[in-house]
Amino acid sequence: MENDKNMPYRKSGKGAVIGKKAIGFSFDGTDYQGLEGDTLASALMANGVHLMGRSFKYHRPRGVVGAGSEEPNALVTFDRGTGRVTPNVRATVLEIFEGFVARSQNNWPSLKTDIGAFNNTFSMFFPAGFYNKTFMWPKSFWDKVYEPFIRNMAGLGSAPTEADADVYASVYGHCETLIIGAGPAGIAAALTAVKTGERIILVDENPVFGGSLLSAPNDEIDGIKASDWLDKSVKILENAKNVTLMTRTTAIGYYHDNFIGLAERITDHIPNLKLGVSREKLHRIRAGKVIIAQGAIERPLVFNGNDRPGVMLASAAQTFLNRYGVAVGNTAVLFTSHDSGYAAAFDLADSNVRISLIVDARNEVPKDIQTEAAKRGIEIISAASISKTYGKNRITGVEVYVPSTGEKRKVNCEALLMCGGWTPSLHLWSHSKSSIRWDDNIAAYIPDQPNENAMCAGACNGDFGLRAALQGGNKAAGGRKSYKVHERDFGTGTTFVNLPNYIDASKQKAFVDFQNDATEKDINLAVREGFSSIEHVKRYTTIGMATDQGKTSNLNAMQIASKAIKKTVQQVGLTTFRPPYTPTTYGTIAGYRSGDLFEVERKTPMDGWAQKRGAVYEPVGVWRRARYFPKVGEDMDTAVARECKATRDSLGIFDATTLGKIEVVGPDAAKFMNLMYTNPWVKLGVGRCRYGLMLGEDGYIYDDGVVGRLAENRFHVTTTTGGAPRVFRHMEDYLQTEFSHLDVWLTSTTEQWAVIALNGPNARKLIEPFIEGIDLSPENFPHMAVREGKICGIETRLFRVSFSGELGFEINVPSHYGRAVWEALFEAGKQYDITPYGTEAMHVLRAEKGFIIVGQDTDGTVTPGDAGMVWAVSKKKKDFVGRRSLKRPDLVASGRKQLVGLMTEDPNVVLEEGAQIVADPNQAIPMDMIGHVTSSYWSESLGHSIAMALVMGGFDKEGENIYIPMQGKTHKAKIVKPFFYDPKGERLNVV
Amino acid sequence: MFEIHCPYCEEKKPEIEFAYAGEAHIVRETKADDLSDQEWAEFLFYRDNKRDDHHERWWHQHGCNMFFNAVRNTQTDKFVTTYKMGLNRPKINPSTNNIKAVQNGK
Amino acid sequence: MLFNQDIEIGAALQSGDLSVKLMEEKTRYSLRIKPNELAAFKKASGLKLPAKIGKSTRTTSHTYLCLGPDEWMVITTPENSNELRVKLEKTAAEFIYSYTDVSHRNVGFVLSGKQAASAINIGCPLDLSLDAFPIGKAARTVFENAPIMILRTKTAEFQLECWRSFAPYICGFFDRYETDISAYISE
Repeated sequence: MENDKNMPYRKSGKGAVIGKKAIGFSFDGTDYQGLEGDTLASALMANGVHLMGRSFKYHRPRGVVGAGSEEPNALVTFDRGTGRVTPNVRATVLEIFEGFVARSQNNWPSLKTDIGAFNNTFSMFFPAGFYNKTFMWPKSFWDKVYEPFIRNMAGLGSAPTEADADVYASVYGHCETLIIGAGPAGIAAALTAVKTGERIILVDENPVFGGSLLSAPNDEIDGIKASDWLDKSVKILENAKNVTLMTRTTAIGYYHDNFIGLAERITDHIPNLKLGVSREKLHRIRAGKVIIAQGAIERPLVFNGNDRPGVMLASAAQTFLNRYGVAVGNTAVLFTSHDSGYAAAFDLADSNVRISLIVDARNEVPKDIQTEAAKRGIEIISAASISKTYGKNRITGVEVYVPSTGEKRKVNCEALLMCGGWTPSLHLWSHSKSSIRWDDNIAAYIPDQPNENAMCAGACNGDFGLRAALQGGNKAAGGRKSYKVHERDFGTGTTFVNLPNYIDASKQKAFVDFQNDATEKDINLAVREGFSSIEHVKRYTTIGMATDQGKTSNLNAMQIASKAIKKTVQQVGLTTFRPPYTPTTYGTIAGYRSGDLFEVERKTPMDGWAQKRGAVYEPVGVWRRARYFPKVGEDMDTAVARECKATRDSLGIFDATTLGKIEVVGPDAAKFMNLMYTNPWVKLGVGRCRYGLMLGEDGYIYDDGVVGRLAENRFHVTTTTGGAPRVFRHMEDYLQTEFSHLDVWLTSTTEQWAVIALNGPNARKLIEPFIEGIDLSPENFPHMAVREGKICGIETRLFRVSFSGELGFEINVPSHYGRAVWEALFEAGKQYDITPYGTEAMHVLRAEKGFIIVGQDTDGTVTPGDAGMVWAVSKKKKDFVGRRSLKRPDLVASGRKQLVGLMTEDPNVVLEEGAQIVADPNQAIPMDMIGHVTSSYWSESLGHSIAMALVMGGFDKEGENIYIPMQGKTHKAKIVKPFFYDPKGERLNVV
Repeated sequence: MFEIHCPYCEEKKPEIEFAYAGEAHIVRETKADDLSDQEWAEFLFYRDNKRDDHHERWWHQHGCNMFFNAVRNTQTDKFVTTYKMGLNRPKINPSTNNIKAVQNGK
Repeated sequence: MLFNQDIEIGAALQSGDLSVKLMEEKTRYSLRIKPNELAAFKKASGLKLPAKIGKSTRTTSHTYLCLGPDEWMVITTPENSNELRVKLEKTAAEFIYSYTDVSHRNVGFVLSGKQAASAINIGCPLDLSLDAFPIGKAARTVFENAPIMILRTKTAEFQLECWRSFAPYICGFFDRYETDISAYISE
């Protein structure tokens, strides 16, 4: 498998997840070769490439720090072609495949020569809060000068400009036990839980299970090699029917009652992918119990020059070697304050990497470690530090500093491994609002009390080492097994908040948060400037606020801040962990719910007819309704004028299906209606209709609609299109809680009925031949009446009502016959030049009559009195919802906005809906606004524009002029009564 | 997403089936005419906003269609219990909810 | 007159691991009865109404679902429509209750195949394992933004009903799901 020429840093015989097949890939336009199983990071380093990105603020060259999803530095843009470009992906989790393409970001003109790096040279000018302080004034500079500058100079990858060509999936799932993380702890937990026979889900963010087992080839479990134990265990789990194993799946968030979001990456690693198959999938899992085995993240050491490419976590170097078969350099130095760091150095040494030196910040190094080092001929300097690093785009050496003697020594190396201890991963545990506590022994927070049925096992619980992980996982799943384990002792460590250095602090660059380019200096500055809360320090320095959310930096930051603030770490506290655990695409969060499936679009049974007819639609709530039916060459105004005229002259047909419908049934139906509506219902005759006005308890208009009484105990209630759900809720609420003594029930029947509205003088003539069982004569079927019978042989509830002022019928037929009846009527209506009209003409026709639209002419603060509808409010009823509120002082006060009509001085001016109204157009700005236009249209019937408006004290201002300042010109209009057309309603009486 | 125990379905159902419906145990005044404007305003607009056990109404909108009452702790954001409409406020035994444990933890 | 539910189901959903079939015309009534009168009502009407929310009874011609403490749905074929209506009208004289025709409000689907439960679970958060949702169990619930009603008729068969205008939205999810499962299986 070794190919020295192509992959000089590949180590034969190493690489637990690496196959034999060579994979060609491209990074920044250069072709490289990697091996099956490689990540972009491991493949690049196999080729000796460490420089993978430029830093956020100072554009400093950066390489990998970690080997997994915690990686803060190596962010690249993954390019699968048009519409499939993903910025800011961590090179350490990106799997290569034949033809893979990625590029570096935040550099110009190239990664190796980046002009923005002058930020680095002048970094003394870019301390914490620099942007806040510098770019404050003048305000006018923000848009044109500061913002573009910041956008150019600071930043990550570019947002994609094309629409996402990929699709995504989402599902719900359930299990009794969800185990997050398939390292030794997670696998041990699964092996125990599987025996219950209950549903188990085991997830891991990596392509392969094993976690730390993949980096520990010399360990043994129960007498066999760790790798063999892993293979054996995974086989057992694969064969178990009750276990679901998920790789490439990250638990991104932990929500109420054990509801977990899992983001599965399905296709990013598959070459030659066909479109249309979901790229990623969001699993929304409800788990009975959650076992978190997320492990721990190694902590960097904070020292001058710790961000140079080639400086990385010791465990990362160990993982690159053992998991991927890649040496991070031919020579390396280890800088550590924890025993565990030595494991990486020894593994590398055993693979022929020269460990030039081990620098231990502690005074004492355990004897057994010293012996092991001596065996390998490695020199250890204790009580020492690294004072600077050398190299430009790659580390070439370090300067070791021994504070007790003042000795300085330069050592060459290709890599510097650092180990500052370990931070248990508490992210998901904390999402669940479970508590944590500080553990002095490991200088880190560990889980305390659970807030859900959850447990942590292994390193994320602060239990380090292989045996502890296995035992912890087993125990979390209810087991009592004792594992025989052969492993290198995990050991202990010491935390160093300030590593000794002879260089003046102001001249050091000791990075805490690599991704946001925040240094130790920045934290100290923030504290000096008075930020004493850790949440404030975080926001001021931006530490922990980058895409990695401070996985490697938070604890270092906290300890540095605590020292500066002079409080204990516990007193300083910890910033909040928030989902998602790792960056997650919007696509995954949307799942299937994108494009056509983003939101329901409800269509009526006649929608298809309208579509064929070329209707232009508008959304009304989640319904789509035909707005107008343009003929060739017509714009909206022309079409609407024609539709209105045709309806008033002869016959218009309109789809009113979307009106909400509620059937109110029961012996107390009338009593209930009496309580819910302002109007009286008890005496309404069977077969008669009434306009109903509904108030909220606060006295404001809530909804309205025509109600027909079909029987003593049965009302057919209609509501506004958008108001149907809330009216149903409003009624159910009162019925179940306040009026529960009434025997009445509600059923939503909106979709039971297709509603065809016919309006115009010829409406009756059209339907007459189709009707059976209903006497249509005006005497026996007057305006505001309802009958049951048949139309076109189909049962119908026929309403004689009018929302246009013309003779009108609303034909209710069962939905799935709606289109057939519509088509039959339309065909027959041709003799009357029947004209389909849309919602726009409907609005004009009703406005000409002064009929209100709730939600357009009212806004939730309009009373029946304000709307001029006192006539609809019963004076006799002792109770109805909203009645008492009508006497509230504010509602009877003078000066309320009242609904009036407006006639513009210039008949051709159609005012803008929502335009403000003033009494005196010459007053200084800001003017006193006395109301606004609620409805405004061109009225073809009147040859004049019309408008309705809410105006303060409007009823008393009838005949007065008011002014509407609009763009470019102020218009004058006269206040009139809002009944513009046929005020006496004579047109309803066409025989 | 919560799992909410519906006292009518006698099952835990996903929160997405439910809708919040305001504070519980606010009885509509039948003799509203006798109330002063201030008293009526208090009924209409004034609500508790306790950092404690909160009695509130939920509607099983996409389930059995029933309104019911719940006790939810606004600090822990956990449901303590749910009960049918019309029942009195239940007595909460402090030992049966884990409010204390969470407080101690933080 | 043409009965037209106006719903298209993707060709790939006709068979295999996931089959989605639109049910033909049905008669549906929503019944509301005081729970304490249920037993007497059942005796008088002969309707086999289950007593507990989430339960169903099925005969060769009728399906009865209990959806709320005082709410049932009866689903049958149009041939039985008149007989049912007469029965409901007659019983109405003896009992205080409500019946409402909702035949055309809903459309019904039969989902069958190995993937039937999983297909519903792409948008419905209920646990549809056989233990949690056995044959005969029914529930009103949601499918993403659409309210639905589901009834398990067999181990791998469900009846799913929704208000008619929500059907294309729900079917759109099944189409997408079918694309995914066939791609992953053939991989």
